[in-house]
Amino acid sequence: MNITWTRKDLLEIYDLTAAEIELILDTAEEFKKVCQRNVKKVPALRGKTVVNFFVEPSTRTRISFELAEQRLSADIINMAGSSSSLTKGETLLDTIKNIEALQADIIVMRHSAPGAHEFIARHTKCGVVNAGDGAHGHPTQGLLDIFTIREKFGSLKGLNVSIIGDILHSRVARSNMWGLLKLGANVTFAGPATLCPREFEEVGVRVCHNLREALVGADVVNLLRIQHERQHCGFFPSTTEYNQFFGLNNDSLKWLKPHALVMHPGPINRDVELSSDIADGERSVILEQVSNGMAVRMAVLFLTAGVL
Amino acid sequence: MPQKKLIFNKAQMDEAIDRIADEIIAEFKVTSTNSNPIALLGIQRQGVPFAQRLSAAIKRKTGSSPLEGILDISMYRDDFGLRKTLPVIYETIIPFDVDDCNVIIADDVLASGRTIRAALDALTDYGRPRIIRLATLLDRVCNEYPIRADYAGLHYKAAHNRKIVVEFEESNGTDGIFEKHWDKGGDYKE
Repeated sequence: MNITWTRKDLLEIYDLTAAEIELILDTAEEFKKVCQRNVKKVPALRGKTVVNFFVEPSTRTRISFELAEQRLSADIINMAGSSSSLTKGETLLDTIKNIEALQADIIVMRHSAPGAHEFIARHTKCGVVNAGDGAHGHPTQGLLDIFTIREKFGSLKGLNVSIIGDILHSRVARSNMWGLLKLGANVTFAGPATLCPREFEEVGVRVCHNLREALVGADVVNLLRIQHERQHCGFFPSTTEYNQFFGLNNDSLKWLKPHALVMHPGPINRDVELSSDIADGERSVILEQVSNGMAVRMAVLFLTAGVL
Repeated sequence: MPQKKLIFNKAQMDEAIDRIADEIIAEFKVTSTNSNPIALLGIQRQGVPFAQRLSAAIKRKTGSSPLEGILDISMYRDDFGLRKTLPVIYETIIPFDVDDCNVIIADDVLASGRTIRAALDALTDYGRPRIIRLATLLDRVCNEYPIRADYAGLHYKAAHNRKIVVEFEESNGTDGIFEKHWDKGGDYKE
């Protein structure tokens, strides 16, 4: 490793070089070992304060970040958008400036507006870590998915990764896409035509609207939930029909290579995008993704905090 | 041109490692049938080849192979965020049970003792060794922290603005211990 980390913020995987992504993954490997010890805590971020500011609600990502911060010995403050002064008319920037005035070191934020993080990162000395911005990006989820794939296959180069579901509304698909392409994987997006736009072909993604096409030859299949909360009109007739055309079940599983991994960023809608027995089956690495997420977040916090 | 002065050569390094191995064998009464094993824990990065050399010397002399491990202390440093460059985390591998073990921490150079302070914190997060000893190939005799080497191969006093660099054939292509100057920016000259 001859690369030095220089970023105070993690905004999107799009910004990172392949070497920077690999540095995060290598660092996360060591933090994963820490999480498997009896003493699951290191003093690396002792004296640093991390504010978890979730303007858009989250449970799994917030808990994962919170635990990662605790395991690094940081001090933590949790703020939800609904209970902050944003509801009293304070601007986002003023809220951030107030957090900065309290000598916080890192702000982990989730926000519904794409680009919110880039905006605040320009206006604060604090490190800014993107925990999801609208349908734009969710870099730590992308990194943990890539970490999980690399752990199983050793390298991403030449692997065929198919991401299936509500691509249109998915920040997970976008973050995965940038990271996977940078590390040399072949990316396929699949889903109903209304939820899987052809525009992604411009950056080198294969787009198809047929499940079989997406599964044949895939080394990894990453299934996404239908984000009903972001859909304001009917993108497909019914979830039953969606399941028949795009759900992974024991019949469609036969199209996959025998060693192929089944992934899902959660929360799963069982028997919509993924049948229960596959979710709990031997190809599924869904819960490993959750464990790896903490190691990856520890690595991201460690690296960004070191620059502050 | 950067200044790099050879202060100890390969023969002196070999002799020092040999002597430390003899001292460890004597203290822990290492024999081919020893039932109370010792573990050599090399600190990343140059403590690792040093620990391997020590281990090989002990095996050659006694027929008994010490346990071997690798410890990275980046997560335990006390200067996180103070350094100009971020510590890169290297691999930690401790393939033995630390509890009740006789652990010998091995590092190439002992200067302030801060690395060893961090190593003690890291090691005790893995378990509760019975005995911990410190072996260093070169002791700079700084005496900043109340930390002293139990086994020191060589002693060398150098000014604070000098860096001592130990090179091993395994990682650097050749054996030798060098003294280098800091430049004004605080970075080492190569």
